[in-house]
Parts: sequence; structure tokens; C-alpha cells
Amino acid sequence: MVELQNVSVTYSSGVDALNNVSLKINDGDFAFVVGSSGAGKSTMIKLLLKEIDATSGVVTVNGYNLNKLKKRKIPEFRRTLGFVFQDFRLIPSMTVYENIAFVLRVIDAPLKYIRKRVPYVISLVGLHAKTNSYPDELSGGEKQRVAIARALVNDPQLIIADEPTGNIDPELSYEIVELLKGINDQGTTILMVTHEHDLVRHFGGRIINITDGEIVFDEVITGTNDEPLPEEELAAAMAEAEQRSDTAQIPADAPPAAAPADAPVTSTEDALIDEVIAALTGENGGAE
Amino acid sequence: MKLSGIKYLTNQGIENIWKNKMMAFATFCVLLISLLLVGSAALFYVNMNSMILGLGNQNEIAVYLDPSTDQDRVASLQNELAAIDNVDAVDFISKEEAYVRMQNQISRGRAIFDYIDGYDFMPDGFSVTVKDNDRIEETTAKIAQITEVQSASSSPQVAEFLRELRRVVTLIAGALIIALAVVSMIMISNTTKASVFARREEIQIMKYVGATNGFIRTPFFVEGMVTGFFAGAGAFFITWAVYRAVYRILTEQAMLMNAFGIGSIIPFSGIRLYVALFYLLAGGIIGALGSVVSTRKHLDV
Ligand SMILES: Nc1ncnc2c1ncn2[C@@H]1O[C@H](COP(=O)(O)OP(=O)(O)O)[C@@H](O)[C@H]1O
Ligand SMILES: [Mg+2]
Repeated sequence: MVELQNVSVTYSSGVDALNNVSLKINDGDFAFVVGSSGAGKSTMIKLLLKEIDATSGVVTVNGYNLNKLKKRKIPEFRRTLGFVFQDFRLIPSMTVYENIAFVLRVIDAPLKYIRKRVPYVISLVGLHAKTNSYPDELSGGEKQRVAIARALVNDPQLIIADEPTGNIDPELSYEIVELLKGINDQGTTILMVTHEHDLVRHFGGRIINITDGEIVFDEVITGTNDEPLPEEELAAAMAEAEQRSDTAQIPADAPPAAAPADAPVTSTEDALIDEVIAALTGENGGAE
Repeated sequence: MKLSGIKYLTNQGIENIWKNKMMAFATFCVLLISLLLVGSAALFYVNMNSMILGLGNQNEIAVYLDPSTDQDRVASLQNELAAIDNVDAVDFISKEEAYVRMQNQISRGRAIFDYIDGYDFMPDGFSVTVKDNDRIEETTAKIAQITEVQSASSSPQVAEFLRELRRVVTLIAGALIIALAVVSMIMISNTTKASVFARREEIQIMKYVGATNGFIRTPFFVEGMVTGFFAGAGAFFITWAVYRAVYRILTEQAMLMNAFGIGSIIPFSGIRLYVALFYLLAGGIIGALGSVVSTRKHLDV
């Protein structure tokens, strides 16, 4: 479980990265965090990993009050979660196997368990053939799958992913999110930051939009589950949506106009979702 | 921590040397050079000291007794002298030897001896060598207090000069060793810092997956220590070879030996154990600490 209560972060440079943010993500949830570059998404992730401290407010993750967490206790806390970053963060001098096994070495797991568990998670992410490869010998998508295997080897309550698809081919992005969805189905809470609206549109679920350090949108939307649309088709869909909808511009602070999640999925609704995301993130949907 | 965990971390440390061989080699070289610099300065000092002490040992106290002292008393006096604090050895000088000595000392006007008949008039005497040359005056004074002793003399100027020489040599060598040690520390610290810096991301990743500082540091400790041991061993063998060569050259010069007390140069076999211990311990400890201390900055994430 993740809970932010009136959290603000001001960097020593004077930048207000987060401004009075309150948020609760329950166990077993899957949530996307979207927002334009510099909005404060990574700042929120750093808070949750106890890489930085909140300037004010209370941060609670997996039952740990991070404001009060002693330095000595940080390792113990971090073992309750997994992380996946845009830049993979694999140890270059270790093989795929060693990178993943390392997490279990850290908790002094029995060797017998490590020898069973590591190959199992490697097979879950479909990298059995690459077990003894070094990160440099892998593609971006493969590296990220190793990172995901590492994040889940310890069976964490929560996996935090900051732009996990940011450095890999768009087609492969879907695979990565599928993988995370699959892990979520087993009960692990997942918080994924992304600015790829196609992905969000496709998968749907809980969408949290951060703009200028504030949460401006937090709703559950239904995914299209479509294959990714080519650029032109998307543009056409956007134009169509604009025509159909009476309000072409939705002010950023207006109450969300998204359709209720339980409504039947129609093409109009899809377009509306597009638009909401586009308007709220201040970008042209899909242009990213 | 289980045994398997300790084994794992130790293995990691050793593997890391191989995986980061360029940086490990740089650390090895810097440690080797540092150890050699400090080691040779220390060996130079130890030998200078030994030479000066050697010269000092040639400094003796000449003790002459009242000619009327009977032979029994002379024998007991020898034991009495030997019992005095700081006295190393007491050699009896018979009247005859004393006569020869006197002849040798008096270079001019040797003709005077032609007028002297026999050496019976000479007193019995002792040649006393001391343990600590610095205290030769004090010891001389003590001997002079004995009733039967007519004269006890040493050359305090020589003792004073040697004492001063040792003081200067110690000061210079001490300053040199400290300076070299400081320079070495800076070099080593920079090298290990660079080596650890190249792996700062690795350290950060380890922190993210919940590794404790101890867990991350242990392989660095092992790595630094093993590299340091190798540097120590390398320094030892280089020192051995060079020292023996220099020793041979110097001791072959018999003239030099006598003039400068080079006879007092310590043969390598006499200090081998200390040199080996110093190099291995210093190499291991400095290597390990340098490596571990350098990780500190990167652990704070
Ligand atoms: N370490 C830092 N020091 C100072 N300012 C920072 C730091 N990290 C991020 N920022 C600033 O905080 C704001 C939010 O950054 P970030 O959370 O990284 O945004 P996002 O991940 O949404 O792109 C930006 O204005 C950024 O420049
Ligand atoms: Mg970011």
C-alpha cells in the first residue's frame, strides 16, 4: 500500500517538484502515473523509494512511515518492494542470473532456494536462453525483462516502475506492460510512470495525472485493448473525436469528463478518453 | 550472516579484481610504488642507524687501575665492572698490552721508549664497551668512582657527535617517511576513489535492492586487501633483490666497511621477516581501508 498525505517536495535548488499531493494506492492495484516531462513523476517515485524525503507531509509505503524510517532500516524497507527504471539499472559485471540472484543474496536466502527461484523468474520473463548473458549482450526489451524478473524475484508487495518502456521499442512496450499486468494479477501492487498515452489508452485502469507537481486527474478508465494504432489512424480518430464532442477544449482543472468505467466501450468513449488525456497532460495524444 | 553468505561476498571481492582488472592493476601499481618508497626510506634509516651505532661500538672506555692493586682484586674488579648498568663487555688489558697501546698512541717522540726498561711500571687496565653509546659519559663517571680506578676515559666528543648524527638522520628520515607516506596516501586514495567511482552505479543499484552497507562493502574490503597483499608481495621481492645487490656491492669494499661502519649494514636475512610483515600488513590494511573508505560517499542513497 502506498499513501501520500499532503506531500510537498522542494529541491534545494528551490524547485517545487510536488505540491500538496495526496494519494492512496491500495494493495493489488495497478496504477498508471502520467504527466508531461518535469511534472514531478520521478520525484514521487524517489519519495516512495526513500531516495529523497518529503519537505512536508506523510509518506507511507508497505506499512513503513518513510518520514520516520531510520537510515539503518532503509535496506529492510526496500526489500519489500521492487523497482524498474527506464535505464534498467542492471549491474554490468554480473550475468542475468547473477543480477537477479543478487537480490536474494542480499537477504541471505538459502542457496537451494536461489537455485530454484532465479531460473523460475527468468523463465517467467521468457529469457531462459539468456541466463548467462551479460547486460551488454541484451536488447533494451530484454534488459527491461531482466529488471522485471529482478523486481519480482523477492516476491515484493509493490513494484514501482519509472518509465519502464522509455528506452525500448514501442512495439515491445506492450509486452513489458503485459508482463507487469500479469504480475499484478498475482496480487502485486504496481505503480507505473509513463508518458506514453497509447499504452495508457490501451490498457486502461487507474490513471493518475500529475501536472506541475499536483494531481489533476485520478480516475479509472477502460482500456481499448486495441493493437497500437498507426499515427495517421490515430490522428483521424482524434479529429473525429473533436468533431463529435461539443467541448473541444477541456480546462485542465475541470472535473474529469471521463466516462464511468462500467459503461459499455464505444468508439466515442475511446476518443473521449484520448481527449481527456491529451487535454490534461497538455500534449497532443499519441504525438509523444 | 550465514557461512554461504560470507563465502559469496569473499568470492565476489576476488572476482571483482578480475572483472575490474584495469582499475585493480592501477591500484596494485600505486600501492607497490608507495610501499617501495616508504619501505626503502625506512630501510635506509634502519641501516644508517645501525652504522652509526656500529661506529659508536668502536668507542670504548679505557680504564686503568692503580698499579698497586693486587691481582685478586683485579680479577674481582672485572666482575664489578661487568655488573655496572650499561656495560656490555669488559676486556682485561695486561701491562704488556697497555704498553703496546701506549706506544701506538704516542706517534711522536717514540724515542722516549728507548729509555724505558720493561713495562712493569704500566698499570693493569680494562677496555669497557657499553651497550648504549649515548650514556657513555655517565658510565665512565660511574667507573671513575671506584677506588682502585686511577683513570677512566672515553672520548665524549665522539659519542656526542654520533648522538647528534643519529638525531639528524632520524629527523630527516622521519620527515622523509612521513612525506612519502602522505604522498602515498593521496595517490592511493585517488586511485581507489576512481576505482570505486567507476562502480558507483553498481553500488547504488545494490542499495536499491536493499543491500546493507556492510554487504556492499565486504567485497570491496576483500578486493582491496587482496590487491594490497599482492602489492606487498611484489614490493617484498623487489626490495629483496635490490637490497641484496646493494648489500653485496657495499660489503665487498673492505675499505669502505671500516671507514664508515658499513660493516654494520644489516644483511637482508636479518630483517627479511620484518620487511615481509611490514609490506604485507601495510599493503593489505591500506588496500582494504582505501577501498572501503572510498565507497562511503556512494552509499548514501
Ligand atoms: N535533484 C534535483 N534537484 C533539483 N531539481 C530537481 C531534481 N530532480 C528533479 N528536479 C526538478 O523537479 C521537477 C520535477 O522533476 P521530475 O520529478 O524528474 O519530473 P518528471 O519525472 O515528471 O519528468 C523538474 O522541474 C525538475 O527539474
Ligand atoms: Mg522522470
